[in-house]
Amino acid sequence: MKMEDMPLSGPDNTKLEALVHDIYSELVDDACLGLCFEVHRAVKQGFFFLDETDQESMKEFEIVDQPGVDIFGQVYNQWKNKECECPNCKRLIAASRFAPHLEKCLGMGRNSSRIANRRLASNNNMSKSESDQEDNDDLNDNDWSYGSQNSPRRSKSLKHKNGELGGSIGSEPYKYNYNTGISYESLGPDEVRSLLSTQCGVISEHTKKMCTRSQRCPQHTDEQRRAVRVFLLGPSAPSLPDADTVAESDSFDIPDGQALMSRLQWEDSPDISPTDSASSKASANHSDSRKPKKKKRTSLALNCGGRGWSRSCSSSSSSQSNLSVSSKKKRPKLSAPSISSIYDDLN
Amino acid sequence: MSKDSRMRATINQKLTEMGERDRLKELLRAKLTECGWKDQMKAHCKEVIKEKGLEHVTVEDLVVEITPKGRALVPDSVKKELLHRIRAFLSQHAT
Repeated sequence: MKMEDMPLSGPDNTKLEALVHDIYSELVDDACLGLCFEVHRAVKQGFFFLDETDQESMKEFEIVDQPGVDIFGQVYNQWKNKECECPNCKRLIAASRFAPHLEKCLGMGRNSSRIANRRLASNNNMSKSESDQEDNDDLNDNDWSYGSQNSPRRSKSLKHKNGELGGSIGSEPYKYNYNTGISYESLGPDEVRSLLSTQCGVISEHTKKMCTRSQRCPQHTDEQRRAVRVFLLGPSAPSLPDADTVAESDSFDIPDGQALMSRLQWEDSPDISPTDSASSKASANHSDSRKPKKKKRTSLALNCGGRGWSRSCSSSSSSQSNLSVSSKKKRPKLSAPSISSIYDDLN
Repeated sequence: MSKDSRMRATINQKLTEMGERDRLKELLRAKLTECGWKDQMKAHCKEVIKEKGLEHVTVEDLVVEITPKGRALVPDSVKKELLHRIRAFLSQHAT
């Protein structure tokens, strides 16, 4: 009804109007009568009061009209804060994350088998020597203890990873692994060799992981691949790392991160030794200091060039970044352009 | 007066013949159900029945109780719409 209804104009106005109202009344009476007949029939047939069964159930299912609660009386996010104990690992998991956690924890479900297969494939490629195998197992054992890195997403969001953290991502059997790369710090020389002979291996700047695509991977250039091989296996190692591993094998006899660092000194940064002890603390306590280090890392990125990197790192005591830095080989300058190109720009 | 009554009869006849009456009936019922009038009236019926006793209630009882209340409870919007349609019909088909 868009406009106000005007009564019909003309001499028969009132009559017509009366007629209109009469017709209307008739219609309304008709409706009322229809209702009465309906109700009466229902009463006599016995189904009129069917929706009122008994007092108890009526009270039980009465509509609730309180704030914070729906009409059934249920709270909206009642289960948000609840934690359930996992029957497998005995951890307390948030309710909304419980199902995916169980899937990974029990090793059932689609994703976990996929991840396990992938890990198996990459481990088979890398682990050839016995000693490395053992050390990898140790690393595996360490990494399987959850600590504070509960969520895969959290670890993915870390900008920098030290050897411990990177290794844990790469080697946990059922860990969610969104990154398709391997961390070179956790690998022994033989593994690195075999990896580089089959895969691209270029180390990503953000994740510090090696690219697991083929040697012809379009994301990285051959120059980058060559630089990575030089960086990881020695200056005389081109894309075929086998020739030079004999000479370099000594450097990898102690795959422990600490010893590696003591050996792989930057030419003009004497600060590695204090950071050695700091980094050993870091490997144990990486969980505590992850967040502040993350922030420091980004500020580092703005402040450092390639060479002054470790110096500034140690000064700001972000030993995690030190681990990743100092575990590089003797000639960091060669690798710097490819690995830390962003830092070079700022130098 | 007879002219008037004749006119009325004609109009009513036309209303029925052309199906407009049934259409208006349906329209009214739909609107009343939609606006909750029917549920209101049913609740009132329940009270009347409980009052009179389930076994002995008659149609007459209900009609007497329900109709005046029903007439009063029709919402204004529904009433206006119906009147509008009736007027439109009359203006089209009145002589």
